Amino acid sequence: MTAARTLHVAAVLDATGRGAERRARALGAFLRDGLALADDTRTEAVTHVFCAADAPREDALAQAPTRVVRICRTPPHRPDLIAVALAAFEASGGADLYVFPGGPLGTELAARLAARAGGSAATDVQEATPSDEVLTCRRAAYANHLTAAVGVGPRPWCITLDKSWADASFSAPADHVVQTEAELLEDAVSAAVPLRHIEDLEPPATGDLETAKFLIVAGRGAGSRGGVERIAAAAARMGAAFGVTRPVVMNAWADPDRQVGVSGTRTAPAVCIVAGASGAPAFLWGVERAGFIAAVDTDDRAPIAGEADAFIAGDAVSVLEALADLLG
Amino acid sequence: MSAMRIAVGFKVTPDYDALRPADWARLAAADGDAERAEAVRYVRRVFGVFDEAALELALRLRDARAELGLETGLAAFTVGGPEAGPFLATLQALGFETARVDPGPAGEHGGLDFAPAATAALVAACAQRLGGDVLLLGTRCGPGESGVVPFLAAEVLATPCVTEVTALEPAGGERLRATFSADESPVRATVTPPCVLAVGNAVVSLLRVPTLKDRLAVREVPVAEYTPADLGVDLTGAPGHAAAPTPLEPVDRSRAGLVVPGATPVDKARALYEDHLGARLEHL
Repeated sequence: MTAARTLHVAAVLDATGRGAERRARALGAFLRDGLALADDTRTEAVTHVFCAADAPREDALAQAPTRVVRICRTPPHRPDLIAVALAAFEASGGADLYVFPGGPLGTELAARLAARAGGSAATDVQEATPSDEVLTCRRAAYANHLTAAVGVGPRPWCITLDKSWADASFSAPADHVVQTEAELLEDAVSAAVPLRHIEDLEPPATGDLETAKFLIVAGRGAGSRGGVERIAAAAARMGAAFGVTRPVVMNAWADPDRQVGVSGTRTAPAVCIVAGASGAPAFLWGVERAGFIAAVDTDDRAPIAGEADAFIAGDAVSVLEALADLLG
Repeated sequence: MSAMRIAVGFKVTPDYDALRPADWARLAAADGDAERAEAVRYVRRVFGVFDEAALELALRLRDARAELGLETGLAAFTVGGPEAGPFLATLQALGFETARVDPGPAGEHGGLDFAPAATAALVAACAQRLGGDVLLLGTRCGPGESGVVPFLAAEVLATPCVTEVTALEPAGGERLRATFSADESPVRATVTPPCVLAVGNAVVSLLRVPTLKDRLAVREVPVAEYTPADLGVDLTGAPGHAAAPTPLEPVDRSRAGLVVPGATPVDKARALYEDHLGARLEHL
């Protein structure tokens, strides 16, 4: 009989700021569904929870996606301290695989830990298959046009998760076991504090895009700031939420908080009308969970024509205003 | 006080939005970096979108510091082939000192497309050669788009790194005030060079255009050329280079694509409503 192999996994959860619940859900769902393990392999997982010094212990534990937890209290906005703590954990035996939520902090920690521990990093991972030497990570490439199976080399493998894992459902275990609890003070690193005079700014007001049932998105085909404003007015008359593509924001025809896509908000409306956008994958990612997509564009050979359920060849502004007349 | 030196690393890529589905299928079927490069050889080149924003932010920062009486030196460099030539010429005309790191044929070292550690080693070494106090990069660039190159370069340089930067301004002396997107909300903070700053979804995203006079003034100025060996980087030994080849698959996002009939916008809107939207909107 062959002995089962064990993959030691460390999930890393920053709970010092907003959105910890979403990040914890992504970690838990990935550990449950995203690791393709051989039949003779099992996982031993621990979550490193980084939380504020005054955070109640039960709050820190509540979101941890694994039963075994290591709590570390640290100031917010100090990835340098978290990196030091993780490097120390790795030096004391560590893990084969470190899993970080998607986002800037996860990317920084994955890269820095891989560099310091002689491991390797992969980001935006949709699923991962470990073997003896290589972790094969499935992820988007070529501006979301293709999917790549990237093999990353020496352990520890340090990966961040694709944003879509935050949409999954996951319930954290109730019977957590705290393995260690420590406080990481500012003098843990000799280097200067990287950031000073830190101001947390108000998050962009994208709530209506995230929860909209009926969404209209204007693209560069609107032609001008005036065209975008006319589509926004038509959307308002129809009771739809209004978003725009990245080129519209880049042309300063609309505010950045209206942006839909990889660099903006990911939506999930029941009905979405895409008005004057060609259907670049980075944008389409933001609306691909829509129940029904209608698209309007002058170019009937644009990718969006085949990526929508229904397509109208025509001027986006004129069609949307005519539709608003019918619905309004 | 000596001038602040800002080095901006950029990449020139094919314009992926110009490719049709058949092009993507051909690209996906190609084997290795060299064949993939050949598959898109005819496609027009563009700056990486975030790299272009980084270049323009560097110019604006230079201008803002000049208004305060502070001197700023700018350098721009790329890791890649001769297709970057026209882009380097534009940057020279805009006032950048320029350099190109030629990694050599992909067949000799396995390619850099999906090798962020090797890319970061070259980026860090070139920034050191150019003497940058601030290394500005785009957060990510195709085809690999790992997003880790700025952090891996920062590890080599032993500096802090801030990513997803959307705005930069002088903050007194040699310090900079950076606005950046953290995981859940924007943050503004002061950072002191040396540092690596990776530019993300900045509203300032288009590079200004130099005048013909500016172009003519620098047409004889050479672009510095380096090999990895010149910079002391051994690509064959770089971490991550032993990784397996990278199979690619097109992503199928197709839907029914039913064409809505009609002669006028009003006809088409009515047909869309009656055949597709009406019942769906009633149930919302």
